[in-house]
Amino acid sequence: MDDLLLQKIAISGPTLASMIQRFSSSPADVDGLLFGHVTYIAPSTLSDDSQSPSDSQLVATISSFLSFPSLLSFYDSLGQVDSSRLTPTHLNHKPFIGWFSSRRKTPLRPSMRESSVSRSLSCIPNLSLPIENANFNSLFAPSIFLLFTTPVQDQSIQTNQYRAFQLQSSKRCFNPVSMDIVNIGPAFRGHYGSFRPSSSLPFLNCELRSLTPMNEDRNEGKLIGMKQTTKDQSQLDMCTEGMQIGRLSRLIGPEAVSYTSGLEDLYEKMLSKIESLARLVEASSAKVLEQENHNRKLRYKVGRSA
Amino acid sequence: MAFDGFPPFISAQLHYLINHFPDKIKVEQVLSGGKSYTGGLDRFTLLIPYCLDHIKWDVIYNAEFPLAPPDIIFGREDEDFHPLPMAGGEGEGDLKSRTKNILSDWKNKDPTRLLALILELRDQYMSYQRDRVGEVDDDRLKFEINTICSREGIEMHISSGSEKPEEVKFAVPLMDMNINKMVLGCPWRHPQKIYLQIIYPVGRKYASTPSAPRLKLMSTSELRALFSIDDVKLPSWLDGMCMAEYLPHLEESLEKQVLEAVSLIDIRRRFIEALAPLFGRPLEADPVFCRKATFLASSGSFVFLAHFLMSTQFPKQQPTLMLQSSQHISPQGFPKKSPFLTEYPWSPRWDVSQMAERIFDFLVEESLNFKRFCNESQPQH
Repeated sequence: MDDLLLQKIAISGPTLASMIQRFSSSPADVDGLLFGHVTYIAPSTLSDDSQSPSDSQLVATISSFLSFPSLLSFYDSLGQVDSSRLTPTHLNHKPFIGWFSSRRKTPLRPSMRESSVSRSLSCIPNLSLPIENANFNSLFAPSIFLLFTTPVQDQSIQTNQYRAFQLQSSKRCFNPVSMDIVNIGPAFRGHYGSFRPSSSLPFLNCELRSLTPMNEDRNEGKLIGMKQTTKDQSQLDMCTEGMQIGRLSRLIGPEAVSYTSGLEDLYEKMLSKIESLARLVEASSAKVLEQENHNRKLRYKVGRSA
Repeated sequence: MAFDGFPPFISAQLHYLINHFPDKIKVEQVLSGGKSYTGGLDRFTLLIPYCLDHIKWDVIYNAEFPLAPPDIIFGREDEDFHPLPMAGGEGEGDLKSRTKNILSDWKNKDPTRLLALILELRDQYMSYQRDRVGEVDDDRLKFEINTICSREGIEMHISSGSEKPEEVKFAVPLMDMNINKMVLGCPWRHPQKIYLQIIYPVGRKYASTPSAPRLKLMSTSELRALFSIDDVKLPSWLDGMCMAEYLPHLEESLEKQVLEAVSLIDIRRRFIEALAPLFGRPLEADPVFCRKATFLASSGSFVFLAHFLMSTQFPKQQPTLMLQSSQHISPQGFPKKSPFLTEYPWSPRWDVSQMAERIFDFLVEESLNFKRFCNESQPQH
């Protein structure tokens, strides 16, 4: 089987910053999983002298990550991966493309155990995900390894180093892959397609006819209509806060003259939803930190009692 | 070496490793992987002797996770070295399964674990290098490996630097003698051995006749007290020779030289004993190798120490003398010493009592010079 070699890996600025922040705030070494997707991208440069049709590039995009609070989380001391911890349910059905490891003051190349984990990952069946834009059905096994370290010498300047590798399973060796950081801005418009939202707006059933003022009262009266409305409202509440489902009608049909204000309203409510989610995350993070500190104290006791 | 700052479980294992490793192992770049230093130091680099050189391995513990075994980062050139077995990999031999057992059964309270792990990994590294050398497409090399492999203890290494040409290095332990046993009261902690380092350049196919490899004798460091390999002249490598032909000659000659060196200990001992009637009992003397002796002497009221330093080439090479005053101090605060005196009448054919007498006569005169020298540069109080 031919190896599918990545030309490059794209990662969004916030994701990379988030990973580095996780790494530098953690008291010890950290590792975790990478999620994203892999796609073929046709090269954007067209040259007049068409010598050979340039192949489309295989590009992986890292869109999110999950970090584990302790070492030897999904693998054992020999680097053998425990596949029962990587079932789709565990991964929240997220597309799994590789893993990362971060360790301070070590050289920037894979270690004995990391090599073993990467090779073990690529051997687990049923973890591959389909490649998008492919001419034929091809699967990509989670073979990306992202390594973060800090330099061994020169500790006067805070430096974070990272390098991405892809495991070439036929040769069992790591190929370095270049990483592109994608941010929002005019230079990156071409990439917007690769970063799709993790939480998109739900599909809501709407019929133009039923939204004329004549039929409105009739619809709200029906029981089935009310049930449907409640269901739709709860779906909308997943991504907005305080937005009445009826207000969505401002975006279509004859009411769409106030489209802009309707859209602004929608975005406002989505932002306030994000805010309240952020507060929830803060509160739960505080609890997690408390628990982690407690665990650390227990581990110290174990470590000191020699 | 004090290892303050290590958590106890790492410190115990590291100390055990250093004290029980069969050769000298060095530790450098001790660092902490924690956010602050409160966790303790938990990563370091080991310089492990291999093939008459060192390999650098980084050992990564985690002070926050004391129950986990350490991880190891190998050298930059050894990306293909994978000592851990693959899941479901059969037929990978005993070597990998021993490493596997050490790691899967890791007990952080057991101080012997790190040593066991490093020894196992080093063995696997040796066989990895052997495989790599075996893959080199060079007929002469293949012939050498086949004829030499019956000897025990050969280590080989192939260097693949991009800027240097590829070379294959062999470290061949010479002579099966237990030199430690031959020395009475031997203080050496490790068995002393002599090795021949043979370096073959690889890949130069256009050479019509294969050139001779580079040869170098090396020994463990403590052997210098008995025998200096710098004094050994290597027999020349004739064209078309191979290791299997060259080594027996070398070993024969070396054996003779080592035996001679051991017998010279006795001669030095008798020389020191012969000095005693003239100089009195020595203040200090090296009882095992008899390379040094110091006597207290006086010339009138001038009291001084006479140091005798015998090289491994004694009696062919005369002892080096040095005088040290007990009554004069240099401005830096050290006792005044004479330069090393090596020009005085000497013949290796004299018997030891005559040697002692002639040195005595020489020192009687020289001590007057020394006294004058000390007094001249003495500041008047």
